[in-house]
Amino acid sequence: MAAASSKQAERLDRRALGRALSRIANASVADALAGMRDSPNGARRIGITGPPGAGKSTLIGRLARQRLDNGAAVAVVAIDPSSPHTHGAILGDRIRMDAIADDPRLFIRSLASRGANDGLADNIADVLATLDGHPFDEVILETVGVGQAEYAVRSLTDTLVLVLVPESGDQIQAMKAGMLEMADIYVVNKADLPGAQKVASELKAVVKLRQRLAADWEPPVIMTGSPGTNDVATLNEAISRHLAFVQRTRNEDDVRRVRREYHLKSLLTRSVADILAKDPKGMDCSLREAFARVVESLKARQL
Amino acid sequence: MSNLKGKRILIAKPGLDGHDIGAKIIALALRDAGAEVIYTGLRKTPGFIARVAVDEDVDAVGLSLLSGSHKELVAETMQELRKLDAGDIPVFVGGTIPAVDRAELMDAGVMAIFTAEMRLDDVVAEVARALTPVQAA
Ligand SMILES: Nc1nc2c(ncn2[C@@H]2O[C@H](COP(=O)(O)OP(=O)(O)OP(=O)(O)O)[C@@H](O)[C@H]2O)c(=O)[nH]1
Ligand SMILES: [Mg+2]
Repeated sequence: MAAASSKQAERLDRRALGRALSRIANASVADALAGMRDSPNGARRIGITGPPGAGKSTLIGRLARQRLDNGAAVAVVAIDPSSPHTHGAILGDRIRMDAIADDPRLFIRSLASRGANDGLADNIADVLATLDGHPFDEVILETVGVGQAEYAVRSLTDTLVLVLVPESGDQIQAMKAGMLEMADIYVVNKADLPGAQKVASELKAVVKLRQRLAADWEPPVIMTGSPGTNDVATLNEAISRHLAFVQRTRNEDDVRRVRREYHLKSLLTRSVADILAKDPKGMDCSLREAFARVVESLKARQL
Repeated sequence: MSNLKGKRILIAKPGLDGHDIGAKIIALALRDAGAEVIYTGLRKTPGFIARVAVDEDVDAVGLSLLSGSHKELVAETMQELRKLDAGDIPVFVGGTIPAVDRAELMDAGVMAIFTAEMRLDDVVAEVARALTPVQAA
């Protein structure tokens, strides 16, 4: 991984990068396959996930300030949901990051989820790979707060932060089979509201119980949002510690495999969705026949 | 009526006035027509707006203007866009624009001017028309 200082020395052509990201976000499955490449020496990736309105964007704004102060050049990719009916979207994440948006070392890109329903956006793997080819040390990725489909962001990031709020208390028991097992760092945000301490204690108990593959990382539970605390500095430090831990301990081949598998699955999912959309009558038969038709259409696709 | 599908539009508020109901209503109308809309929030400088437009690679910038200095703010925003090699991004303007100033703004290269009296559907239709030059009959 290149040092922050050397990466920052490269000048960023924001116009070219902005356009490149549009091209990639708009790419068809065939185009994506044609342009696909591995990205060596990529930026460190920090995923921020959690239910809608938990305060992810606000927290990213504050966190990015700290990461910039650490000396890193930072890109933020923030995803908001597209309407499945009109395809329209309000990309409202960046407005919460206003306090830092004037820093020229920071690049924020808002994306609509479009066809993806895994909390990320179409072609997100390629979007991240494109950023890897630019002078960023770190990419912070904000998911759509879907709450259940965290496998995607887990696959694509190095450090995954789950942001919960005091009202999440009731959800913790229900969630423990899903995303609660995946995060590296837990945040109880809006700690200025009542109930935060209780949720944090419950989380700590659940986290203790859970069996982890990487047993030597104990996921911290951090409360943020209380005025007058070092909340974001604590989070910043925990992220750095985890990124270093990951770099020390993980097998890069495994990471590549997991990311490629996610990439492949998302392209296949989109291909199937395309096929079904183009052939609505294709479902007017038995499920077995419909399945066979889709497989045939997939085979017939020009790559 | 999803005729703005896939279009990315920045709605921005330069100037000092603190009212953004109009900007938000336009943002929602464009969204309902299929656009992906980014809103800057209040009181942004032309330089800031241009940089967001470039980073986000939007297809159009809509400036919502209620303060008196609309001519200067529009000109400055277009100037800042050109500085960033983004003079090709069309700019439209909405708000309280006196009739006497409209010709001048159009001459400066503004794509369209929308006033509060216009129907939202017409505004959306005009944006869509401007952003999709080639349209099947
Ligand atoms: N009380 C309190 N409110 C907060 C805090 N952080 C954020 N908020 C508010 O919570 C609301 C949602 O904040 P966002 O940062 O947009 O949350 P988000 O998780 O990014 O939301 P989505 O992207 O829509 O899922 C806003 O009204 C914020 O002002 C906090 O620490 N305490
Ligand atoms: Mg957000």
